Amino acid sequence: MSGSESSSLPALIAQLASTNPDERAEAAELLCRAGTAAVAATLPLVEACGDDDSRVREWAVAALEELGPPPAEIIDHLTEIAAGPEPLSAYWAATLLGRAGRDAAAAVPALATCVASAEDMAVRERAAWALGKIGPAALSAREALQQAVAQGKDARLARLATEALAAIGG
Amino acid sequence: MAKQPDSPPLAAMVPSAPAPPGQSMPGRWLAGVALLLIALGSVGAQAQAPAGPPPLAPAGAPAAKPWDAVLIASFNIQVFGESKIAKPQVVNVLTQVVRNFDVVAIQEVRAKSDGIIPQFVKAINADGSRYHYVIGPRLGRTVSKEQYTFIYDTNRIEVDATSIGTVPNPGDRLHRPPLHTRFRTRINPPQMAFTFWLVDIHTDPDEVPQEIDALADVFSSMLTLRPDEDDVIVLGDLNAGPPQFGRFKKMPNAGWAISNATTNTHRTKTYDNLIFDKTTTREYLGRSGVLDLQSTYGLTLDQALQVSDHNPVWAAFYPCEAQNLPGLQATTGIALAPR
Repeated sequence: MSGSESSSLPALIAQLASTNPDERAEAAELLCRAGTAAVAATLPLVEACGDDDSRVREWAVAALEELGPPPAEIIDHLTEIAAGPEPLSAYWAATLLGRAGRDAAAAVPALATCVASAEDMAVRERAAWALGKIGPAALSAREALQQAVAQGKDARLARLATEALAAIGG
Repeated sequence: MAKQPDSPPLAAMVPSAPAPPGQSMPGRWLAGVALLLIALGSVGAQAQAPAGPPPLAPAGAPAAKPWDAVLIASFNIQVFGESKIAKPQVVNVLTQVVRNFDVVAIQEVRAKSDGIIPQFVKAINADGSRYHYVIGPRLGRTVSKEQYTFIYDTNRIEVDATSIGTVPNPGDRLHRPPLHTRFRTRINPPQMAFTFWLVDIHTDPDEVPQEIDALADVFSSMLTLRPDEDDVIVLGDLNAGPPQFGRFKKMPNAGWAISNATTNTHRTKTYDNLIFDKTTTREYLGRSGVLDLQSTYGLTLDQALQVSDHNPVWAAFYPCEAQNLPGLQATTGIALAPR
């Protein structure tokens, strides 16, 4: 089998920005295979979820599934992406913020906005889930979550918002 | 919508089965007496040179499977799509894995093309095997979708074509609701066949406790779905080991095949399993395991990770319904190997 797996993390991160989709797909796959060792590539992988090439997106998603909580220094960047226009990147940014738990407290206003008005329902749902994971530090999101419950347009969103409110307490 | 492609013609019933490798004639005779009516076959086991790239380990003709056990496996083939199917050495390992088993429940088919699984099954059958498949719809809440598929040996297993479907998902509790299909062993007489539901699942790693409980509800529902079927096997990548089995652990009769073994390729986590009701699925022979990709196929960790970040898990079941034959015990040794 191929022995091209020895590329360093910085080199793979750079390759993820290549203009060649085959090279980007290979980089995403190798980062996925690196498992939790690729945590330094979290942000580029979230951005790669918006790639035009489906292979890049799928490997980026697979990599992010395994990565665990994000480094604290990228919380602000993830918050920006969660509020951004690319649905799959926003979904994964919200997921990672949720994994960060109370360390993502600074993201609460952006996540509350996502719950209230993100165009993509999966992003709204994941934002509600993330607020629940942040817990009591997400107290300022109560109104957005209560509205999501009251609207009841989406059963899953209403359930996740209800669970988040229970986790936030107050 | 879940579907079964055009089915191959059913293989002829086989009047007898070969002695498993290493089994003596007296042993074979005793097994034959115990299973007098069973004719679980291995019609497709003619010696043929495997096509395609050279194998990683000696393959040759497919070795005979145990004739007194049905081997059911689950395998998360991480991001099984265009990139992976284009790697001959990876496909070679994957085909060898599947040929060990009678049915393999696969998770994480992630491809734009509908041709990945047909291409894969063609590679499996390149040695004369006669596998076929059932595939579910693309599932997922984002543009990143996954499909479930069952790949099964038509020499030994049949599918109830009317049984294929995606489990209802009220309240959207499961990110990727399971694919269910009812199978039966090909034995003579057919009314003695072991019939069973397989329920293929890949849970969302970020919502494991909720999804495990939802899956337990699915399991309970499936047990009573048909009055003529009491065997339900939930199998897949649960992203959880038995300590995290939630509502399943409150079911006094729920049992699982993998308890004290890791199932990921890094050998650090127990994610994959087969769950069933111990009192109704008495066909379970108490034999199960994890097929370690590295050690079985002589791969480095990185080579194994090119195949998947999960190892296949499997369990052995008796090919007859338990009520037909008391005192079940497999007589054949089960040794999984490169094929």
